[in-house]
Amino acid sequence: MSSRKSIEKPLPSVVENIEEWPIYVTYKNKEEFLNKVKKHVLQHSSWLNKEPDTLRNELKKILYQEKIRLTKTPWKSDDPKEKLFWSGIKKQIRNQKPIENRGDTQEVDEAILNEILDYYTDKMVANFKPSTFKFTQKALPFVYSRLINSFPRILSKIFSSVDKLYDRMKITGDIDHIRKLQEMGTVVIVPTHYSNLDSPTIGLSLNNLGLSAFTYGAGINLFTIKTLSKFMHNLGAYKVDRRRKHRLYIETLKAYSTVALTENVNSLFYPGGSRSKTGKLEEKLKLGLLGTVIDAQRINLVENGGKKIFIIPVTLNYHYVLEAKKLIESHLKNMGKENYLEDENTNSFGLIKRTYKVITSNPGMTVSFAPAMDVFGNRVDENGESFCKIGNKVEVADYFKLNGEIERNVQRDSQYTQILGERILEEFRENTVVLSSNLVAFVAFQIIRKRFSQFSVFEILSLPKDETTISELEFKNVMERIKDRLIKLDKEHKILLSEDIDLNPQELMTAGIQKVGSSHPKYVLKNKKGEISTQSMKLLYYYHNKLTGYGLEEYV
Amino acid sequence: MQKVGVIGTGNFGLALANLLSINREVLIHARREEIAEKINTTREHKGQVISEKVVAISDFEEITRECKLIFPIVPSSNFKEMLVQLRPFLTPEHILIHGTKGLHIESDINVVEELQRHEVLTMSELILKETSVVRVGCIAGPNLAKELSDKQVGGTVVASRYNDVITEGKKALHSSIFRVYGSNEVMGVEIASVLKNYIAIAAGMLEGLGYGDNSKALLITRGMAEMIFFGKAFGADEKAFMGLAGIGDLMATCNSKLSRNFRVGYFLAQGKKPEEILADLNEVAEGIKTIKVVHLLRHYKFNSPLADALHKVIYEDWDIEKGLSYVMNLPVRDDTDFFNTNA
Repeated sequence: MSSRKSIEKPLPSVVENIEEWPIYVTYKNKEEFLNKVKKHVLQHSSWLNKEPDTLRNELKKILYQEKIRLTKTPWKSDDPKEKLFWSGIKKQIRNQKPIENRGDTQEVDEAILNEILDYYTDKMVANFKPSTFKFTQKALPFVYSRLINSFPRILSKIFSSVDKLYDRMKITGDIDHIRKLQEMGTVVIVPTHYSNLDSPTIGLSLNNLGLSAFTYGAGINLFTIKTLSKFMHNLGAYKVDRRRKHRLYIETLKAYSTVALTENVNSLFYPGGSRSKTGKLEEKLKLGLLGTVIDAQRINLVENGGKKIFIIPVTLNYHYVLEAKKLIESHLKNMGKENYLEDENTNSFGLIKRTYKVITSNPGMTVSFAPAMDVFGNRVDENGESFCKIGNKVEVADYFKLNGEIERNVQRDSQYTQILGERILEEFRENTVVLSSNLVAFVAFQIIRKRFSQFSVFEILSLPKDETTISELEFKNVMERIKDRLIKLDKEHKILLSEDIDLNPQELMTAGIQKVGSSHPKYVLKNKKGEISTQSMKLLYYYHNKLTGYGLEEYV
Repeated sequence: MQKVGVIGTGNFGLALANLLSINREVLIHARREEIAEKINTTREHKGQVISEKVVAISDFEEITRECKLIFPIVPSSNFKEMLVQLRPFLTPEHILIHGTKGLHIESDINVVEELQRHEVLTMSELILKETSVVRVGCIAGPNLAKELSDKQVGGTVVASRYNDVITEGKKALHSSIFRVYGSNEVMGVEIASVLKNYIAIAAGMLEGLGYGDNSKALLITRGMAEMIFFGKAFGADEKAFMGLAGIGDLMATCNSKLSRNFRVGYFLAQGKKPEEILADLNEVAEGIKTIKVVHLLRHYKFNSPLADALHKVIYEDWDIEKGLSYVMNLPVRDDTDFFNTNA
């Protein structure tokens, strides 16, 4: 069913007229869209009315949590007028104390709830400006390709740099199929997440595929610089405040995503939540927002003539991740603890600077689109029809039916979301592209690990340099065994190999060592007179992690 | 109201069809046409009187077309074959609640020296693997077919990841003589209902050797502990073992001569050979196979003294008394060690 190919140049848009794009139509009629979002929240808010005083208690909880957030974790990106808003809410709650009967403040409480909902949705909502999009569309490949090539080269060959873009950035997948699905339904992209560079990379790739623009949630910490903030806002980014953890906010966020999907707006989620701190492929997904695709598909069946939602996992494969050191150190430090990496310091300017640095020194990347699936993880054919794992044609409506009727059932859908999550992880594994750098890092770390098999990872990471040197002969022997195994896995469609892997052993080893984490101040691997060594076991561990989970260890 | 389907005309399948017929019209699928005909004409099969509301058919397409809720009650050894015939007609709208107390093994257990986890599937795992059905559940508990068909009061548990499967199961099956409880612990319920079979064999042996109630209570309690150890190794939660499918089913099968597995143990203690007994029973005793399976999985290092001893007796020609002495001389653990995290 699938026919993979690489894009040689940007493809024309599937829908030529931007003003016909659902993202444009939806955000143009913002009020209507937000009303639908609010209606969706209220329609499914039985949790707010369980007991007569539940709503009042929830409002108090929200107020309390918002107050804590404003005082304990204030961010630069916070709206200065926000304190005033919550003070107003506080006053309203205080002025309406229940007097005799429980629940006698219901009417006022509902008004307060609506006010909070207005506030949340107003802060959240994205925009889509065709002029901003067109500007980005024109500028990004130039900027990106200039950045992606080395600096002196940019200066000498400014105009040829776009052509060279694809030498460094490979976009592969069943492109024709994805374009065709765009005509039939809504496309949801779910990429792996390693780096802050992921968003521009995926943005450029999707544009090159000729798909209508995507809406996506972006952490509010990325909205600190006004110009960039406006830019992202006008390109369809809705604001997500990860500090807000109470249910009303989460439900509003989910409703936002659900309604956008039912309005046929292409959407993008990072199902892993945050960047992989270990360099490993995602092992567990955050299913919250992902679950909205199931509910949206159900709504589409009932209200929108059954328009289908297609899920396309994407793997991003880098030789070099600038944040690798910070990420792996944070992981090691927090191992065994809750380790959410605080992103507040990642201001937009810092991000641009760092992204710039990553790209200028990046030896390349591969963006790999997996075969498309429906919201239950079934593969879809060129006509958008679903086929289950045993090859039977299935109707998505059947998953929602009970006694012949399509029903909403949150518990059932949470199970379906888990199934989808598992399928996405499977596609991530199968569509990971093995780069020469991944292979050499894996080989080097595993040789050392085997040498000190009784040591813990921590002990291995603190080994002195002379204990970790590997002879070229030993390295090549192991590399060949791993390569043979990888070729077998590739044939079984369990992984993908980059062209690099076809090189002869000497070339492969040289290319991999040269490219792996190529621009860290400390080298990840170096081959000096037949002795392969590392200056950073942590980074070697990070890059090696990409190939764990494929059972390659036993071939070392 | 939609008809409910039952696949399999064994004792339990027939009894279940009769119970379902209290609330619904039932289609029961018989592999052989002549059996379907016999049921429809004589209203009797395997000693059970069959309700007028039960219609027997032998067409898989028809049962899937007429019923969205189907109970496959087929021995584990035939389960896959049944699914392969059924699956062309199944869709994700169907709900399957199986009542098979056995495991599907992907390898030949008479040949391999050990089994890997992925080669051992519970029936719900097998359904998910082999069909397009997603809403799967199982029914288990102290449900001796003979008592069910005599319309004695009883109860069972329907387990599924999906609450609507549990609700549909209850709606179809719950009645004034049969209570249906729900659980989301499918794996635990399935493992419990599989493993209790060999504990019942051991109970039959004790009875056959003339031991009394104290001995049997010890066996049942430690049997449950052993089931939990195994369950945990399989990723199950211990909760299910405290319910109807665990302790409930254990108490019934370990005390009842109606239980096939119990009878196997009883006759073994009387000096009969396993082959002879199985031939006489003319029915499946899942426990014999389960002992072998547990033995082949022992490299996962769970604590299974009863299965070990039973393997020695049934597959290595040990004397039952020697097997009993083996178990009785093992080091003693904490009374409620199955609650320990690392048990």
